[in-house]
Amino acid sequence: MTTRDIVFAATGAITALSALLSVTTRHVVHSALWLLVSLGSLAGCYLVLGQELVGLVQLLVYVGAVVVLVLFALMLTRAPIGPHAEIATPAWERAVGAVLGAATTGLLAALLLPLFAGVTVDLDGGAPGGTPAIAQAVFGTWVWPFELLSVLLLVALIGAFAVSRLVLRREEDSTAVPGEVRR
Amino acid sequence: MSWIVRMIVVLPALAALAGLLARRQRLLAAGIAIGMSAYVTVLAFIQWVAPARTADIESIGRLSTGALQVPLHLLSDRLSGLVALAVAVVVLAIQVFTAWYLRDDPRYGQFAATVSLFATGMLLLVQASDLVLILVGWEIMGWCSWLLIGHDSQRPDARRAAYKAFIVTRVADIGMVVGIVALAVRARSTDLIAVLTASGHDTALTVGLVGVVIGVAGKSGLVPFHDWLPDAMEGPTPASALIHAATMVAAGSYVIARLFSLYAGHDGVRTLLAVLASATMVYAALLAFAQTDLKRMLAYSTLSQIAIMLAALAAAPRDVGAAPAMSHLVGHAFFKALLFLAAGWLSVLGGATALAALRGRLHGRGALRWSMGLGLAALAGVPPLIGFFTKDTVIDAALEGATSGGGARAWIVVVALFVTVVLTAAYCARAWLLLDTPLAVTEPLTITDPTATGALPLTEPVAEEDVAVVTTTDSADDAEVERVHAHGHAPITLAAALSVAVLAALTVFGTLLLTSLRGAIHVGLLSALLSVLLVVGSAYAVWTLSDRGRHDVAARVPSRLRDAAVRGFGVDTAYLGVGRAVTAVARLVVALDRDVVDAYPRATVVAARGLGRVGERSHRGVPSLSLLALLAGVVVIAVLGVTAWR
Amino acid sequence: MIHLQLPAALAALLAGIGVYGVLARRNAVLVLIGVELILNAANLLLVTAGSRPGAPFSAGPVLTLFVITIAAAEICVALAVVLVLFRVTGAVDLTAVPDLTDEPDAEGELDADAQPSSPHAPEPELRGQVSS
Repeated sequence: MTTRDIVFAATGAITALSALLSVTTRHVVHSALWLLVSLGSLAGCYLVLGQELVGLVQLLVYVGAVVVLVLFALMLTRAPIGPHAEIATPAWERAVGAVLGAATTGLLAALLLPLFAGVTVDLDGGAPGGTPAIAQAVFGTWVWPFELLSVLLLVALIGAFAVSRLVLRREEDSTAVPGEVRR
Repeated sequence: MSWIVRMIVVLPALAALAGLLARRQRLLAAGIAIGMSAYVTVLAFIQWVAPARTADIESIGRLSTGALQVPLHLLSDRLSGLVALAVAVVVLAIQVFTAWYLRDDPRYGQFAATVSLFATGMLLLVQASDLVLILVGWEIMGWCSWLLIGHDSQRPDARRAAYKAFIVTRVADIGMVVGIVALAVRARSTDLIAVLTASGHDTALTVGLVGVVIGVAGKSGLVPFHDWLPDAMEGPTPASALIHAATMVAAGSYVIARLFSLYAGHDGVRTLLAVLASATMVYAALLAFAQTDLKRMLAYSTLSQIAIMLAALAAAPRDVGAAPAMSHLVGHAFFKALLFLAAGWLSVLGGATALAALRGRLHGRGALRWSMGLGLAALAGVPPLIGFFTKDTVIDAALEGATSGGGARAWIVVVALFVTVVLTAAYCARAWLLLDTPLAVTEPLTITDPTATGALPLTEPVAEEDVAVVTTTDSADDAEVERVHAHGHAPITLAAALSVAVLAALTVFGTLLLTSLRGAIHVGLLSALLSVLLVVGSAYAVWTLSDRGRHDVAARVPSRLRDAAVRGFGVDTAYLGVGRAVTAVARLVVALDRDVVDAYPRATVVAARGLGRVGERSHRGVPSLSLLALLAGVVVIAVLGVTAWR
Repeated sequence: MIHLQLPAALAALLAGIGVYGVLARRNAVLVLIGVELILNAANLLLVTAGSRPGAPFSAGPVLTLFVITIAAAEICVALAVVLVLFRVTGAVDLTAVPDLTDEPDAEGELDADAQPSSPHAPEPELRGQVSS
């Protein structure tokens, strides 16, 4: 157990615990906030692993944008403040969910742990990749996916806009006739 | 001179086509029909005088059908020449007569063309040396008979009669086709010579011969296929003359005559033929006696006479051959055609064909009276008319067959023949007395109608201008009255009267024609004497019983029996029963197919829809459940993938 | 010097928690939180693998960046749909039984290109408890 291991273990523990709290809390908004904590500490994990760019992008995008979006969505869908008993699905579904979650974890662990057994990375002396290497890769090998991703973002933007416009137009045309949205 | 043989077949066909195209111009159609039949008669005469005596005349060339030879040859010999001449003469007479008889009919053109086509069929059959061509001629005649019987297609009775004729003969034709196929297969060829000379396969031979007998029984009206013929009187009289005198009903006898050497060696089939023919002979003669309509009487008489021809084929010994039957065929063609045409002429004058309406009409009409008289005398078998010679040749051949080992078969025929002679003379005498005795002398004719209130005296003659279609006196399904084609009909033209006269002359002198065929005239002295005595005796009996013609002798028959006889003893209902049975079987098959066989594909549809509905109902579209299912599926697949990889 | 088993274990754990989060929540937005956790587990795994010596093309970090981008796009559209659902039916309860009766087509149809990434199009007239 090196120092890095211990640091990683600590950050990882925070990530896991906050993720767990996020999915089990009965406060709706707390769930989003615990997610924020989880994603933030995950950024920390990335830093421990030596991937600074990824960690910082994680903070910028996930913590800064995605979680904010989630919070806005909760606000716009009138999320109740305070503990909300009916936040969870019926018990049997939760049971099945727990089983499935455990199965997923077990499966992945059973695969990955043997895979990574004994693999160590020496990050103290000279980071293997580092940001310049990533930049080279992004604009070199991965330039096409990169450009397509920008198109994807544009499409998502337009899509979200169109979906919301659809409802708006319908509300303008008909006088509050509920429930006739067709794709 | 083989081109004559081909022309005799081809020219009427061309005339039919041309007549059909020219049907709206009456004069042109009549010209084509009469002209062509005259030319064909001339050709037939030439061919009769000098037959080519060959069976190798090519028609349209050999059909290439692999192992089976189908040479499609025509033949020309004394027999075919004689029969072809007889047919051609009768057709010519009918065409001339029709030009007058149907002068007010708008569809005369079609009629004339159909008669030409019919002549094609018959002449093809007569001159065919190939089973396929025989079948083709047979079928053409069947189709044309439907067209001709149903000529007045506006009338439902005529249509029904046409369909009845067609369907009954069609059912029998199944036997014909099966028979022909069996014979062809046995000989590996459809050529007549090959079929006659082939040896072996008793089953195929029996099937073939029995099949042909069944087919002939249909078209010639042997019991039980006989009931279509009296109903076919719905057709115009010239059509009846054509179909039921000279051609279609006699075609069967001709076919059997051509195959005679095969039949002569097969006693069983000949016995069948003898039984059917004898039964028909006597039965039809009895029914003819009871009829109240002139044409129906002639129809039953035809049934009886055709049965005589077929009985001759059944009973004659091998060395005598088919000549007696063929001579009676020719004789019958002449005198029956004469009788029908005279009946047509008479019906125009009388306005109907019912005997009640024609009572005493012959009296005082010169040519018509003589023609009718000669015809009836020939039918009865009065010497020296042709009917006497041909019938006595048949009797002689039957006796010879009986005495030279023909056994029960020939004796049945002999007995039936003599009985028929008596009955024929009886109904001929009755008809003559009814038609000829002047009305002033007669008592009113009681009309046997259950719905009539008492007897209806018809003492005043029906005026010529009256339409008077006398239908109500007989029951509804009697088909005795064709729509009279004469409302104020013009008197008979010279040509039409001449055609009747020619037939009458042939009835008197036709025996000379027959001597050209070997064995066609062979009258035994004793049997001839016996038959003459029977004729005279029977006629005298009728004359006395009807009090010299004052009463209708058939009125002595109890009225219920008479009614049933007029209606044909309900055979029509029996035919309907057969039809219904077949339809019921067909419906059963359809139901089986639809509900049993088709049920399986349809069941898959029902099952699929049901499953779909179940699936639809079980899937309620709740998003959380679907997520659950999705993730469960993903995990399962992942586990499977991982374990499989390992 | 870090043993890579630890990040791997964390990734597995996060994935399991994310799956539970998807299945244990009623609110559509909270379900999306679970989805985010799963995505992040994947990201961590990518980074872990990518930091192995000899990883080609810097695939690990680069792909992680891509996944982050895609996740952002996805949650954008998903939340748009959720908001539409809320606007139309007044609730975002995923355990509600939708009303599956066929309704006649309303006037005109506007084809939206963007398909929501959530597996189901929410049905109108959601019955069931109205909850957030």
